Amino acid sequence: MSTQQIDGSMGEGGGQVLRTSLTLSMCLGVPVKITNIRAGRKKPGLLRQHLAALRAAAEICDAEINGDALGSTEVRFVPGALRPGNYEFRIGSAGSSTLLVQTVLPALALLERSSTIIVHGGTHNGMAPSVDFLELALFPLLARMGVQVDSTLHRHGFYPIGGGRWEVTVHPWRQPAPLQLFRRGSWIENRATVTSSQLQGHIAERELARVARKLGWPEKALISSDVASLGPGNIVSLRSRFEHVTEVFEAVGGLGISAERVAGRAIRDARRYLAADYAVGEYLADQLLLPMVIGAGGEFTTGALSSHSRTNMALISGWLGASSIAASEGNPDGAPSSVVSIPSGLALAC
Amino acid sequence: MKTVIIGMLGTNLDRRGRNAKRWAAWRPTVSLCQHEDLVVDRLELLLEPRYQSLADQVTADIQTVSPETKVVHHIIRQEDPWDFANVYSVLRAFTDGYPFDTDNERYLVHMTTGTHVAQICWFLLTEARYIPGTLIQTSPPNSRPKEGDLPIGQYQEIDLDLSKYDQIASRFRLEQLQGTEYLKQGIQTRNKLFNEMIEQIEKVSIRSIEPILLTGPTGAGKSQLAKQIYELKKQRQQFGGKFVSVNCATLRGDAVSSTLFGHTKGAFTGATTARPGLLREADDGLLFLDEIGELGVEEQAMLLNAIETKQFFPMGSDKEVSSNFQLIAGTNQDLWQRVSEGQFREDLIARLDLWTYHLPPLRDRVEDIEPNLEFEIENARTRLGTMIRFSKEARDRYLQFATREAQWRANFRDLNSSVTRMATLADGGRISREVVEEEIALLQARWRAGAPSTHEGETLLQNILGTEHLQELDPFDRVQLAYVVAVCRSSRSMADAGRQLFSVSRERKSSINDSHRLKRYLEKFGIVFERIGAV
Repeated sequence: MSTQQIDGSMGEGGGQVLRTSLTLSMCLGVPVKITNIRAGRKKPGLLRQHLAALRAAAEICDAEINGDALGSTEVRFVPGALRPGNYEFRIGSAGSSTLLVQTVLPALALLERSSTIIVHGGTHNGMAPSVDFLELALFPLLARMGVQVDSTLHRHGFYPIGGGRWEVTVHPWRQPAPLQLFRRGSWIENRATVTSSQLQGHIAERELARVARKLGWPEKALISSDVASLGPGNIVSLRSRFEHVTEVFEAVGGLGISAERVAGRAIRDARRYLAADYAVGEYLADQLLLPMVIGAGGEFTTGALSSHSRTNMALISGWLGASSIAASEGNPDGAPSSVVSIPSGLALAC
Repeated sequence: MKTVIIGMLGTNLDRRGRNAKRWAAWRPTVSLCQHEDLVVDRLELLLEPRYQSLADQVTADIQTVSPETKVVHHIIRQEDPWDFANVYSVLRAFTDGYPFDTDNERYLVHMTTGTHVAQICWFLLTEARYIPGTLIQTSPPNSRPKEGDLPIGQYQEIDLDLSKYDQIASRFRLEQLQGTEYLKQGIQTRNKLFNEMIEQIEKVSIRSIEPILLTGPTGAGKSQLAKQIYELKKQRQQFGGKFVSVNCATLRGDAVSSTLFGHTKGAFTGATTARPGLLREADDGLLFLDEIGELGVEEQAMLLNAIETKQFFPMGSDKEVSSNFQLIAGTNQDLWQRVSEGQFREDLIARLDLWTYHLPPLRDRVEDIEPNLEFEIENARTRLGTMIRFSKEARDRYLQFATREAQWRANFRDLNSSVTRMATLADGGRISREVVEEEIALLQARWRAGAPSTHEGETLLQNILGTEHLQELDPFDRVQLAYVVAVCRSSRSMADAGRQLFSVSRERKSSINDSHRLKRYLEKFGIVFERIGAV
């Protein structure tokens, strides 16, 4: 089978080009060669977390890989047969567990038997949507598309210590269904959750106070929870539940940022979404693309397309043809909005 | 390639208690394994037996944050961690017994933990290459962090290869130029054959005091190289004496012997004072005799004797004097050809031929033109005392000409004068496109003038064959023959002429006898080589 050539510097040119390419390669069984990986970055080539994703993907489909080294700018990945099973991956330096799981999840869903993945690493590391985000926003939509995912977070892993433990079970994708998500539906509830570990209580209090003041959410919607983790950490998570979709807006605390600024970031994102009309927020839009392409397609409305999403779409249409995915962007009432449409999807199913 | 870190357990810095709070603190050994762009495949952790439980904790924590890392404990026993000799011997014993595998592993020595004495020892062991690796230093996160700072701090690799540090390197540039670099005057030549040759010359000139013979066309850099060999040996204290250089072609008559070997007062008419001679001046130094093929047969015999016995008679003296000099001879002739012509002593060339190096003409070292241009520009700057620069356009044009079109008949001498002219004409130190174009035109005109023209050859041919014979020749042969005799006329020997005339085909032949080929050609027309010169 001929090898798909990917220029790793396309679009945003980050680790995402690598991960999307791996997912498509695994699902389609097509070898892929990615060059110029993370070209032009301060530290070009594969970093530790990319290497972890690459090796995890290789393990699941018994792939042959070349160039799996730190700093490598060229990788060749020849997938073998996908294997269901119980997998355990360890990512160093609090690398993102969610990105790794998203890379391999669509492929595992194509198998006749359920698979379980246990990931050790960062679960709330601020560099990618957290496990909470996936559980609340993404997995319910995957369920509507026909993919059942069970998720259990055993331990939080904050940046930079990591050491989180998360278990995900992916069930066979028997009936791919298109996802039609034009409207949010009626509003159900808002909730602000601050999750902290090994930090003084006033930090969570200040963050929640800021949320109450700026968004006017009531006392009973504000929740503070202290969790066990290897290292200290803090994340503000604002959740808005609607009839057809739940959105999550997150910000992670770190060195040199005040509690108020952390909260402010999540508040800014939540406000922007709540003031608009479209169904799907920036990050969720990005996460839906691959499952829809591999499944039965569909359509959704979202805001202005992020460069991340554009890169993903360019990669998908470059690989599967220009008609596989389309987006129309408009600016009807001064607020940018887009409709992303995936006419049929590959309907790979198991 | 695996990454292996060697370091000591930090008995203070790595000890941050047993409760979960330790994770919030910076621990150098643990932090090493937490970077996004550094995966430690193995950590060789040196520790005193009494710190075993701390080591176990650090090891378990590393396993958590860096599942890729294998931690290996090495028990060491330092009697006094502040005693230099003791610590050095302990660490030296460790490195001596360590199975370094540089083909498959790269080594980083972590020097943040341990006493300052240990740091110094790590430095020394790495600098002296007992450890074939580089140093790595970790530092804590900023106490007043800016947003985006890593709470795990930073790391810095320190490569002790000083040549990589521009500032240090340029500061010591001339003093530090080692061996081959020195011989090349710091010019970064790229021609592989040339560089290999220089490498060998460096070894030979350092290890041997035997004569060296440098061949090559005029201006190829023979005397420069001889001078640099002298400087290098002087720098290594192999010479206490002087560099003495003479071109044998400039010596005539009686002066030859007396210039080389000296004379006593009254040895001949006009010898009003005694003269030591160049061989004596070069005592404990280097004598460079350029164009040695021009030396008379008699002087050759005296020179051979002087090389072998280190002793000789000055003119008019019956007392032998001695001089311990090293000889480098230069020539652009084929000395073996001169031997067959009876012009050069076979025993002398046999003595000189031990180390013979051929310096190729500049046009055969196209890739070296650019670095040499830089070198000449730098020289011009020093000479003129002002900054000299090419405009980019001018530089590109000149290089294009220099590497593709130029003949470089006098080789480096041409390049040197070309740069000198341009540098002098550069207004405000800037060599413009116009200056370059003028210079190119000038060079081309010179080289054209120097080339034998067929018109010249026609006249010459007429003189050799006579008008009558000439008319019997086909125009086809006339043109060719006219060129051939013109070349013969401007050559010193048949071999020289042959080399020039068959310069292309000789490259491909295993055995070369150009003079024979030329002789046969000339014979067809009844011409003898020697007669061409006589006309």
